[in-house]
Amino acid sequence: MRYKNILWIYLLFVPLTSFVLPAQLNRQPGAKRWVINENSSLCVNGTTNINKFACEILAYGKTDTLTVSKSNKEIGLSGSMGLDVKNFDCHNSIMTHDLRKTLKEPQYPMLHIRFLSLSKMPELSSRPELITGMVEIEIAGVSKRFEVNYQITRDDQKLIHLLGARDINFSDFNLIPPRKLGGMIRTNDKLSVDFRLNMKTID
Amino acid sequence: MKKILISGLIASCILFVVSYGGLFLAIRFFPRLFIEYNGPLFNSDGSRDTLFYMHPFIISFALSWFWDRFKGLFKGVSILRGLEFGFVYSIIALLPVMWISFSALDITLPIVISWFLYGLVQAIIAGVVFAKVNP
Repeated sequence: MRYKNILWIYLLFVPLTSFVLPAQLNRQPGAKRWVINENSSLCVNGTTNINKFACEILAYGKTDTLTVSKSNKEIGLSGSMGLDVKNFDCHNSIMTHDLRKTLKEPQYPMLHIRFLSLSKMPELSSRPELITGMVEIEIAGVSKRFEVNYQITRDDQKLIHLLGARDINFSDFNLIPPRKLGGMIRTNDKLSVDFRLNMKTID
Repeated sequence: MKKILISGLIASCILFVVSYGGLFLAIRFFPRLFIEYNGPLFNSDGSRDTLFYMHPFIISFALSWFWDRFKGLFKGVSILRGLEFGFVYSIIALLPVMWISFSALDITLPIVISWFLYGLVQAIIAGVVFAKVNP
């Protein structure tokens, strides 16, 4: 009877620990978790040979988590953002329509930014700190890694503000910029992407 | 037939240079006039660019045939014949098309007027060429 109880305890222990232990192991010592606020935003600025445009996603609308961890000399930043392409607003219905069409929204409705690393561990003070980091951007099913310039601050309410900026090209993602009148009116290949993440630290 | 083809080809080459050269310069120096072309009404994926650049050839050969049939109606020196030919074409063909375009499509009056003038100038240039090459 006694051996039977031990067997039952063992049988229960194994499956229970198999769920709990990996989660504990993944949490590296000193790792910090930042929760992205819903009011984070992303702006894409571009030009044509006749005008300029700015397309924005003003409210991210989700609460994803980024994890900052230090291992050896590398600062890992893991986590990702999934943005609905249909949420882009170019403040001009025609430009908005064209951007969605160019980004192949019906086929690829989401744009992903995956955070990979930081150049150093941020100090998180009210003084803006300039750092760089690697991200992977996926647009229209094509992923590409970029180094992004960040400016990071933490305000009095302990909110972390991460501003990221990077120039990308339509051609990096095998996309063809919109063109009209046989290419006489054309959108330039280069786009400037700025994003602002407002985050709070969680234990 | 040979005269129709030769005069059509000459007019095509001249219209190609004048039309797209003029359009290029207009976009460069008056970009604000072309902002409206950034609209869903206009193809933006480049799939019809070849058709777009074939337009001078289409209009030149069509007008060349029309000239050959009715050239006897246009009297005077070459420039005058070309002018009259251009106005006739504009009133018969362009005006009704522009009318229906403006009434059915979400485009502005300046765009329609610019299209009308563009077609008128093309037809006058073609008319002058035809009057010289196939009098």
